[in-house]
Amino acid sequence: MFMAILVGAVAQAVFPTFYWLGQVNAPVLLGLVIYYALAHSRGTMLQAAIFAGLLQDALCMIPLGYSSFCFCIVAVVVSNFKDMVFVHESFTHMMFGAIAGGAVTLALYGLLSATGLVSLAPGWVFLKGVGSVLLGAILVPFEFEFIEGLDRMLGNTDERTS
Amino acid sequence: MRDRSIVLWVVLGAVLLAVLNLPASVSSQAKAALREGVAPLQGALSGFTRWVGESIRSVRGIGGLVRENQQMSAELVRLRNEVRDLQSLAQDNAALREQLQFSAQSGRRLTPCEVIARDITGWWQTIRLSKGVSDGVSMDMAVMTSDGLVGKTVDVSARTSDVLLISDAGCKVSARVVRTGAFGVVSGNGPARSGQASCRMDFINKNVPVLPGDEVVTSGLGGVFPKGLLIGYVDKVHKDESGLFQRADIIPKADLGRLTYVFVVAEQSYGADDYLMKTRSSEGGAP
Repeated sequence: MFMAILVGAVAQAVFPTFYWLGQVNAPVLLGLVIYYALAHSRGTMLQAAIFAGLLQDALCMIPLGYSSFCFCIVAVVVSNFKDMVFVHESFTHMMFGAIAGGAVTLALYGLLSATGLVSLAPGWVFLKGVGSVLLGAILVPFEFEFIEGLDRMLGNTDERTS
Repeated sequence: MRDRSIVLWVVLGAVLLAVLNLPASVSSQAKAALREGVAPLQGALSGFTRWVGESIRSVRGIGGLVRENQQMSAELVRLRNEVRDLQSLAQDNAALREQLQFSAQSGRRLTPCEVIARDITGWWQTIRLSKGVSDGVSMDMAVMTSDGLVGKTVDVSARTSDVLLISDAGCKVSARVVRTGAFGVVSGNGPARSGQASCRMDFINKNVPVLPGDEVVTSGLGGVFPKGLLIGYVDKVHKDESGLFQRADIIPKADLGRLTYVFVVAEQSYGADDYLMKTRSSEGGAP
C-alpha cells in the first residue's frame, strides 16, 4: 500500500494539466484512497488516507494535514456507502471519483483561502471544481482496476472485507 | 466491535488534530523528510519522461537538422561578433571602475540544478529542484535559466528545494523597464489559455512612456532578486483602474513550461582589495 501511494504521488506530478480543466492535476492519490476505502479494511483505509494526504501536502505548499483531513472524510463517507453499492462496478468508481474529486478540491480551496494561502477568481475555482469532477470520473475506474489487479497478483487480499 | 470502531475514530481524530496543529518548525521538518524520501523516485521518473520526450523530439526533428545547422552557424557568427564587442566594453568598464575606485563589486555564484518535479495539486506554479541546503541553496534565492528569471526558492530541505515561478500570482518581483528606468512590481497572471505563462507589471509611473517590446529586468530592490536579471518583454500597456499608474502585460523570456535545468543565483560581494587583486591577476600583474 505504501509503495502504491508513493508511486501514485510521483505519477500525479507527471500527468499533464489542461487550462480548460482549471489546471488541476489528475487525482491519483484520491483514487487510491477511494480504492482502499472500497476494497480494504477500515484500518488500511485510514492508513492510506493519512499517508496519501501527508505525502500530497509534503510535495506541495499545502500545510501538513489539510489533505489528510479531506482524504479521511472521503474515505469514511465512501466506506459507509460500501454496503449499498456494487463495489466492483466501474460506474460506482466513476461516481465516487467524480463526487470525491470535486468535493476535495472545493474543501481544500476553502481551507487554503481561509488561511490566506490561495486567492482565486470564482470562475477559476468553478473551472477547477469541474476539472476535478471530470478527471476523477475518468481516472478512478482505470486506477481501481489497475490497483485491484496488482493486489490480486501480489496476493494482498487477506485483509479485504466483504 | 462497536467499541473498537469508536476507539479507531478517536485515534484518527487525535492524529489529525495533532498533525493540523503541529508547530511550524516540526511541520516543515516533517515535510522536508517526506520530500527527501520521494526525491530519488521523482528524479528517476522525471529523467525517464525527459528521455522519452527527447527521443520523440529527435525522431521528429531529423528532417530539420540541415536547416537547424545553418541557423546555428549564423548564430555562432553573430555571437562571436557580440563577444568581441563585449570584450572591449568589459575592458573599458574595468578601467572606469578602477578610476572611480568603486568600493565593492558584486558577482554572482550560479548553482546548476535539475528540475525533478512540478506542483502535484495545481494550486501553485512551482517546480522542485534536485539541490538544497547541502549544496548552498537557501530560502528566497533567485532562480534563472540562461534566458531569464524563473522564480525564487520558497521551501528548502537538505537535498531539494521548491521554487515559486514568476507566473504565480504570489511571486512578486521588484522590476525596472530598461529603456526608461521606470520601476514597477511584476507578478504572475497564473496559467493562460495559450499555455504560455504570462506576468503583469503594476505600479508603473503613468507619465513614463512604456512601449511593447521594452525589456524588463529586476531592479535589485527588495533584497531577494539581484539587480539586472532579465524577466521578459512588455506585451501590452494598459491604464491602471485607479488612473494613477499604468500596467503592462509581460511575456517572460524563460520558457516556464519546459524547464529542465535552472540556476540558483547567490549574490557574492567582495571588497575593493579583492576586486583590484582580481583585475591585476587577470592582467598578468603581481598580486
